Amino acid sequence: MIDQRLYEEFRDIGRDIFVTGLTSSHGGNMSVRVGDKIIIKRRGAQFGRLKHSDFVETSFQGKDSGIVRASTELIVHRAIYEKTSALAIVHAHPRTAIVLSLSRDEIIPIDNEGSYLLRKIPVVTVEMASGSKEMAEKVSDALRGYKIVMQRGHGCFAIGQTLEEAYHWVSALEEVSDIILEHKLMGEEMIEYRKHSESYAKW
Amino acid sequence: MQGWAGKILDINLTSGSIETLPLDMEMARLFLGGRGLGARLLWDLVGPEVHPLSPENALIFTTGPITASASQTSNRFNVSTKSPLTDTILHANSGGWWGMQFKRTGYDVLIVRGKAAAPVLIEITADGVVIKDAADLWGKTVFETTEALGQSRNKRNVLCIGPAGENQVRIAAIMNDKERALARGGAGAVMGSKNLKAIVVEGKEKNQPADQDQFKFLLYETGKLLKASPLTSQALPEFGTAVVMNVVNEIGALPTRNFQQSQFESADKISGEEITDSILVKNQACWACPITCTRITKTKSGKEGEGPEFESAWAFGAQCGVDDLDVITEANYLCNDMGLDTISMGNTIGCAMELSEKGLLPGDLGFGQADKLLDLIHATAYRQGIGDELAEGSYRMAAKHNAPELSMSVKKLEMPAYDPRGMQGQGLVFATGNRGACHETGNMLGPEVLALPRLIDRFATQGKAGIVSVHQNSAAVIDSLVYCKFANMAVAEEFFARTLTAVTGVPFTADDLMVIGERVWTLERLYNLREGFTKEDDTLPSRLLNEPVAAGPSEGFTVKLAPMLQEYYAFRGWDKNGVPKPEKLKELGLDSLISNQ
Repeated sequence: MIDQRLYEEFRDIGRDIFVTGLTSSHGGNMSVRVGDKIIIKRRGAQFGRLKHSDFVETSFQGKDSGIVRASTELIVHRAIYEKTSALAIVHAHPRTAIVLSLSRDEIIPIDNEGSYLLRKIPVVTVEMASGSKEMAEKVSDALRGYKIVMQRGHGCFAIGQTLEEAYHWVSALEEVSDIILEHKLMGEEMIEYRKHSESYAKW
Repeated sequence: MQGWAGKILDINLTSGSIETLPLDMEMARLFLGGRGLGARLLWDLVGPEVHPLSPENALIFTTGPITASASQTSNRFNVSTKSPLTDTILHANSGGWWGMQFKRTGYDVLIVRGKAAAPVLIEITADGVVIKDAADLWGKTVFETTEALGQSRNKRNVLCIGPAGENQVRIAAIMNDKERALARGGAGAVMGSKNLKAIVVEGKEKNQPADQDQFKFLLYETGKLLKASPLTSQALPEFGTAVVMNVVNEIGALPTRNFQQSQFESADKISGEEITDSILVKNQACWACPITCTRITKTKSGKEGEGPEFESAWAFGAQCGVDDLDVITEANYLCNDMGLDTISMGNTIGCAMELSEKGLLPGDLGFGQADKLLDLIHATAYRQGIGDELAEGSYRMAAKHNAPELSMSVKKLEMPAYDPRGMQGQGLVFATGNRGACHETGNMLGPEVLALPRLIDRFATQGKAGIVSVHQNSAAVIDSLVYCKFANMAVAEEFFARTLTAVTGVPFTADDLMVIGERVWTLERLYNLREGFTKEDDTLPSRLLNEPVAAGPSEGFTVKLAPMLQEYYAFRGWDKNGVPKPEKLKELGLDSLISNQ
């Protein structure tokens, strides 16, 4: 089961995700891969108040009863671990990024830090929004080429070698999205300052 | 050529035959080049019945698809063979110019088999390939040989062995461009066993990217990342690789006096800062590399050369209890000239010092005896006196004196400059290394110490196996492309994938590369299993498992290997005996290799 060092990482990052408004009190989920097992937040646990008992250990292939308590999105997490080299996953509901995803097929940062870190974030459309096979396939396929993807109107999935890394991409995405939105609201023409910026769209 | 030249040069020194074979492009897609392609070819060519120093062993020199493309650090190449030190599969890679130049001769791979009746060299130029008499070079040092054969940085490049290789010293290196080394595992002894003194290359062909626009964009973006990283733009250029000496010492992970302590009281005297302050003449770069981490140095006695790197400074410094930087630097020069692996040489001398201090080895050798280092290195290269024992590496030497536990090695390969009691993940890397205790095949210095890409708890064990596996897979694919791992400290795999795509015209994603890395790692594991290695070999010296660090920031820690190893096998899809499961082999496309056995 989860040891103290790993629990503290989950707890601290869960708290940060909640207090920075990247998800609602009970929305989103996160997991890490340990050997041939996944440790994932249980369904309905509060992101900002995670306890030892809020974690479920389940097999990689899913042949155990862990699924009874695990997050609804477990199927997506499994698909991501199967198709990518991810060791940790964060799924959150960043508001501005969700707003942008309603009208864009990709989010291309316009700020320097966002360009440097993310270059481009693809947006995938899923009919069955939560815990579906379709969602598992589309999101995991997209994450083969990117470290964070948006599901239109729902939220983002980010991967990393650690929870902290995946959280970083979520946080960066929301910052990128806030800047895009605020620049658009300001209504002024952008002065391009990045050499080869046209290539980010092809990233 | 666009990525691959599509040709293998196959030379048999016994018969004198020289053949050009087509490169199997499906094999190239699955293993890329470098270490991966070398392992795949070795699997077919060198079976368990072959003694590493027999004519039946092969030396397989491989470049990668990005080699000579001018992408940053695209200068490296690899040699694969069966190791005379470890009896495992061996891969060793090197920077400089030779790899780029060999690729420009229009070949991806050079296979050398058999044994020449008398010393020879191979010359590969636009005029053709010839095997030449090298009787007049046999006995010469690396520096003498390199000069005699007309080394010219961008036009004509020399790879050779020194006296250590000729004398089949088990820790002998193959040297290129005078002072670059295919260092670890004794490839130099294999070359010596074939009576092959040198390989000289002059090439004219170019590796021209399939998508020039995208390649230029990636050069620009990669350049930005290398400039943005303090490690690649400041620390390595200013202080060289020894910039981490004080850092590793401060956290209590710098092995000292044959790993009896994990902090060296004089680390600052052998650090990158001290090298820059006292002996640095100038920086030097390998071909197409903006990092310039190589140190050109000069000692008080007026000797000048390359080094020392971090590992070499540690091996002759903290490991031997020596803090005289001039002596350490000249020990490094001498190893380069003799053609010796500095890590194994220094580590083995440290082992001999402990054996002697404990009364297990005759003589009065002891830690801190800087004045003995140069004589011991020279004696090793020529197998003279005690040098004949050192030439066997630390494990065989310690075992001969009934104390194999004092050899700080895994699978008989000497450990490098990290005490894994203070870096648990590094312990797992060493224990599971396919060529033995090696930091280059999954260096955890990044995540456990330098926060690259993220800082993780260096004493934690749960979840560590996955991170170790990913780093091992990543190192395997970087060694197959072949890129420099320092570039990877600033540039992520997705850039390598996109550059590979731009160069070859074949689409690759970052995750495709990670699968290739896993395939290479698993194939190497299969090779070792075929040689008779078992899970019992996935271990560490008992000192690291049972003797807690006595003092310092890592005080009280041993390596908690068992739980990490269990998690590691599970993560990799191997059974409890460390054997890859059939479904994993099928997933990686390696099942046909086993079914054909």
